[in-house]
Amino acid sequence: MINSPQEVAHSSADIEVLTPGLFSTVQGIGLTGYRHLGIPIGGALDSHALILGNRLLGNPDNTHGIELTSGKVELKFNRDSWFVVTGAQYQISIGDRNIWSGWRNKIKAGETLTLKGPSSKMHAYLTIDGGIVQHSPLGIGGSTSQALGRGDRLQLGKTLSITKPIGAVQRGYCDEIRALPGPEMSLFTATSRKAFWHNRWQLTNASNRMGARLDGEALSLSAPKELNSHAVMPGVVQVPPSGQPIVLLADAQTTGGYPKIATVIEADLWKLAQTRPGQSIRFVHVSPSQADDANYEWQQYFYRLQRAMNGS
Amino acid sequence: MINTSPKVYRLGERAIVLDCSELFPALSKLTIQNRIWELAQKCRENRIFTDLVPGMNNLTLFIKDANQLADWIARLPELWSDTTGIKLDKPSVEIPVVYGGKYGPDLDEVARIHQLDTSEVIRMHTAPEYTVLFLGFQPGFPYLDGLNNQLFTPRLSTPRLSIPAGSVGIGGEQTGIYPKEAPGGWQLIGRTNLPLFTPDNPESPTLLAPGYRVRFTQVSSLEFPQ
Repeated sequence: MINSPQEVAHSSADIEVLTPGLFSTVQGIGLTGYRHLGIPIGGALDSHALILGNRLLGNPDNTHGIELTSGKVELKFNRDSWFVVTGAQYQISIGDRNIWSGWRNKIKAGETLTLKGPSSKMHAYLTIDGGIVQHSPLGIGGSTSQALGRGDRLQLGKTLSITKPIGAVQRGYCDEIRALPGPEMSLFTATSRKAFWHNRWQLTNASNRMGARLDGEALSLSAPKELNSHAVMPGVVQVPPSGQPIVLLADAQTTGGYPKIATVIEADLWKLAQTRPGQSIRFVHVSPSQADDANYEWQQYFYRLQRAMNGS
Repeated sequence: MINTSPKVYRLGERAIVLDCSELFPALSKLTIQNRIWELAQKCRENRIFTDLVPGMNNLTLFIKDANQLADWIARLPELWSDTTGIKLDKPSVEIPVVYGGKYGPDLDEVARIHQLDTSEVIRMHTAPEYTVLFLGFQPGFPYLDGLNNQLFTPRLSTPRLSIPAGSVGIGGEQTGIYPKEAPGGWQLIGRTNLPLFTPDNPESPTLLAPGYRVRFTQVSSLEFPQ
């Protein structure tokens, strides 16, 4: 969403960042169409959480919000706004007023929103009616994800007419991550193939927006194999020579050369975004039609939400 | 007559890979790459793909509607066989480079390794017309074909923690330009001030694109940002 400069000129500091937290970034749902130029999709790691917040506010799905990683974030609002916090569990307050996650709430001009966490899961998403204005679709997000800093000023889009709080139950997290076998699965030894599906994998501290780095029993190829550089995408599980898999995430580079043992299904990619370093996950082998079903479940979830909102 | 056809397989829920690696060496890498760009151009007209991403002698097609995946896996071999491999008319970009000194700290070492004068290295590096095979690693980072094999140079044994944007380097059989500051192990022979990635210009966010031709020209000085 790009607003024209004239439209936003009067509202250049709708939000002031008093305390930025650790690696808070402005994110939409990512941008395709530039990958042949080496530009990653970017966008929210848990895009379902961002979309949920936007739907509750009546924003278009791709409206930009703030992805929180951890710590304390304080934002001063200079216009009356409605907002929702989704994803990881954060302690949310305005002054001494506590706010529920997953609910649409109002904040008045001059008030400061404080978010502390996470107490469970990993990334939370703050969405605001009208959304955060972005001047260039490639300027923020993706390869240029830039952490917010103290004193940053954010502009909001047009305010929406919202009158009452509503909320939604978020889908539950589990550590079972469904995946399809990758094109190079058969190049791995039988032991490694079995280990991939049966063992637990611990997320390491080296994980970031480019990839979830896993630690476990090292995986090995039956014979050394050099692959030409080829396109990769979020969800690809690649295995570098160390044998420790990396699940590529939103900011991953667009091409790679490591064997791809599996691809995490789109419907479960958010779970990796919500797994904390030190926690472990397990991969569950599914078929393409089970992957379709999983996408359909998400569609149903958002469809039911829309029905409930229309009826409320 | 070559009866080898590319391998076509799915990757995840909405990607198809056309893997032409086995067509080499019967066909040259550049011929294969030309046919890949031609195929990508044809597929782009369909507007059912979000991205068509060439790699090294392969193409990955990202499809909007996963239901159409099987159809396209079946159609691709025929579309491939219709490609001609003719050299496509792509823009040519001249890249001014200050070679050596503080902008190319490894130029002397590269010359020493190959027992050449630095001026010879520069002459050999500026002589060819390179072709952008594909982009990756960083936004706008070109993988170039055409480096004189006398300049093939091993990477540094200890990679640098930070390489300035615009650095022109040689790593193994490759030469290229770093669009953004990054860690890296390439031998740095010069630097350009041309921006390779301009995110504020979504119409054309990168200087180069697949199939573009590149020439390096030596200049004695450039104005660098900062």
